[in-house]
Amino acid sequence: MRRPLAAVLASFALLAATACSTQHDGTDGEDDGTAPRPGTLRVLASSELSDMTPVFERVGKDTGVTLRPTYMGTLDAVDLLATGKADGRYDAVWLSSNDYLRLRPDAAEKVVSETPVMSSPVAIGVRTATAAKLGWKPAEVTWSQIDQAVQDGRLTYGMTDPARSNSGFSTLVSVASALSGAQSALTDADVAKAGPRLKEFFKGQKLTSGSSGWLASAYARRGDVDALLNYESVLKGIPGLTVIRPKDGVVTADYPLSSLASTDTTTRENVRRVTEALCTDPVQRLITDRTHRRPVVASVPPAAGLDTGRRRELPFPGSRSVADGLLDAYENELRRPSRTVYVLDTSGSMEGDRLSRLKTALTDLTGDFRDREEVTLMPFGSDVKSVRTHVVDPADPDEGLAAIRDDTKGLEAEGETAIFTSLEKAYDRLGTGKDTFTSIVLMTDGENTAGADAEDFDAFYRELSGDRQDIPVFPILFGDSDREELEHIAELTGGRLFDAQQGSLDGAFEEIRGYQ
Amino acid sequence: MRRIAGIVLAVLLIGGVVAAVVAGRDNEETGTATKTVRMVIGSEKAAFFADPDVVKALAAKGYTVKAETSGSWAMEGLDLKGFDLAFPSSQAPAAELAAKYEVTGTLPRPFYSPLVVVAHRGAAEVLAGNRLATLDGKSRGTLDMAAYLDAAKDDRTWQQLRGAAVYGELTGTLYISSTDPQTSNSGALYLAAASYVANGGKVVASDAEVDRAAPLLRKLVSVQGAQQSSTDAAFRDFVSGAGNPLVLVYESQVAALLDEQANPGDVVVLYPDTTVNSDHTVVPLTERGRAVGELLGADPGLRKLAVRHGFRPQGDLAEFAAATESRTAHLKQQLTGVRQAPVPTSAVLHELARRARG
Repeated sequence: MRRPLAAVLASFALLAATACSTQHDGTDGEDDGTAPRPGTLRVLASSELSDMTPVFERVGKDTGVTLRPTYMGTLDAVDLLATGKADGRYDAVWLSSNDYLRLRPDAAEKVVSETPVMSSPVAIGVRTATAAKLGWKPAEVTWSQIDQAVQDGRLTYGMTDPARSNSGFSTLVSVASALSGAQSALTDADVAKAGPRLKEFFKGQKLTSGSSGWLASAYARRGDVDALLNYESVLKGIPGLTVIRPKDGVVTADYPLSSLASTDTTTRENVRRVTEALCTDPVQRLITDRTHRRPVVASVPPAAGLDTGRRRELPFPGSRSVADGLLDAYENELRRPSRTVYVLDTSGSMEGDRLSRLKTALTDLTGDFRDREEVTLMPFGSDVKSVRTHVVDPADPDEGLAAIRDDTKGLEAEGETAIFTSLEKAYDRLGTGKDTFTSIVLMTDGENTAGADAEDFDAFYRELSGDRQDIPVFPILFGDSDREELEHIAELTGGRLFDAQQGSLDGAFEEIRGYQ
Repeated sequence: MRRIAGIVLAVLLIGGVVAAVVAGRDNEETGTATKTVRMVIGSEKAAFFADPDVVKALAAKGYTVKAETSGSWAMEGLDLKGFDLAFPSSQAPAAELAAKYEVTGTLPRPFYSPLVVVAHRGAAEVLAGNRLATLDGKSRGTLDMAAYLDAAKDDRTWQQLRGAAVYGELTGTLYISSTDPQTSNSGALYLAAASYVANGGKVVASDAEVDRAAPLLRKLVSVQGAQQSSTDAAFRDFVSGAGNPLVLVYESQVAALLDEQANPGDVVVLYPDTTVNSDHTVVPLTERGRAVGELLGADPGLRKLAVRHGFRPQGDLAEFAAATESRTAHLKQQLTGVRQAPVPTSAVLHELARRARG
């Protein structure tokens, strides 16, 4: 009865394309990011590459070719390629790794050539004090030791969502390969066998994130999370972490810049020239110095601080069924479930088109809820109108999902906009004690007009216990809502603002999934 | 003709400089300007064609080369309209391309390169200590293919090998990583060599032989998980310190690395005692393409450059041997003691690759 994850992602791929098209590097001002332009390569890129801007600039100077990245999660990017929706929209693909892409023949055949231009292994970054307390010698630590520390309650960590971020996916493969004891590429049987142990391991995961950037800031804010699992390059950029590549194996991202069969020879020639420029010694040096990735040419040594001791490379699954099965198990069985209150503005101003867009977006979102997830709908106007909680029961997921859709159908627009009073009630409702990823999504189309004001809410939030203060609010900018007001809520609670004025409401809801 | 007139007119309108360039191009036979040759090549030859000296040598003969890379078996899926030649890494994909584009005449084969396995010294010494390889010197040796295939059959792990425990990275199943045999030449040739050995030193031809070889080949591939699609990528990963301890590459890639790198680290080159040569084969799609293909094998300067990039020119052992004088620590000048496995027919090879990928 499990919803096929790939299908969900496929339906999301198009949304992602539109939602993300506004997120290119911004150097081109008004452009929507999809129009072709001579001398410019439109690059479908992993979000991990957003730290490469200085390198893009350098390569632009060296070759006269401008790189215009559109950042996207690997799975979404692969779906876009496989379904032909990248044809004509992108000139090149640059993912953290093409391993997953190669499992999808319909996507792989779109790629003509690929050249890895740098590399970074999955690693664990541990607070230096914690590493000392655990008595760890960085060169000797194994996944089993990490697992043991988690079992003993001595180590908690954060990682990115494997369904939306390549770093999360590679981390998941590393952990599953290492803890399953598989001696070669993972099989379905390995994944099944490792299930119980992985479930224990993922109890230690206290932070999840749709992006490496937010993960780092949430980690800094929380103070009670001991470690982060991510690429070495990301962890090296976070102060105070001892970065460890587990001795018994890592999965390495090799960042292949890939040209596409759907492009013309001039475009592919530009990709080749950019690749060549990226592999020159000066640019390789710039890459390793600025981004902590490892060079792929023997003549440039890795930047200072990158330990050169060898590690076993854990093979990436060789079939789609194993890779998707692992992801599916993670989402629906292995990770801690999520628990979310959706605080939804159904004030009078939502009447008509806005309310119907909300209903469509929420209804679509039910296709993406995971097994065991607890979803509370809290529509509000002048005050909270109702509080309805549903759980997606693995035995019968459709029951809970149908109930959410029914409640959505019944939403009506009426009343003032009591943002802060409703938020306070959401926090009241989310007592702690449950072992979940807990968060609040706030969707509003206007400013606060009733009940508590921002100052009241600040005072309320400051009085909350530490556990509750860890619950972030993810506000969605929609309609005529006030960016500053919502930005403040996100900042106060450690959440992140999502923009459905520029992008779509569906896109914002979907993107937040990575943080739940 | 009208179209050409239109272009000329447009050029005249744009300006004299551009017009002069175009006129120069039209006037190719005078030798003052060069003819552009578009080619699609296996990734392992990209460095050769990008070498400024190669560019210069070709320009001296009147050619400017624009090369794109592609997996040898993936070239079949490309639209080669507008290309002057395709240059896959072996005869089988070349023969298929020649049939598809109705190319007649012999296909030039200017140079070749045997498949080798690269390892770091620790891994190579462990193999030698367990009779899977013999080393002649610190950086060169021979891999016993039959012993290796037996180990693969038994799912031997590094942990089970004497002396591996001191190297943290040597754990997990012992295997050679190769490229995807369905899209890339070296991956397919790996299966050709392995199936030849497994078939008792006989090239696999009949259905029964395919059936017999398939389970072992399936194992050799499935343990690897996701495979790289090009040898260039696999070798780059190895150089950057990532990836499996044993990687199948072309000898030419190692030779090129040795040429540009005074200190290649502790890389050891293991020649499988039964291997397959990659016969880089030109499929001329135009007259211009044929001329360049023939030039690569005939021009002494270009042959010398091919040697510098690690390729062995056809028909003369002395050139390679002389050039590798300084690299004999890693490379064998003569391939004595290295058996050449014949490659199965294209159809059989495809079938073996398909069954191996599962």
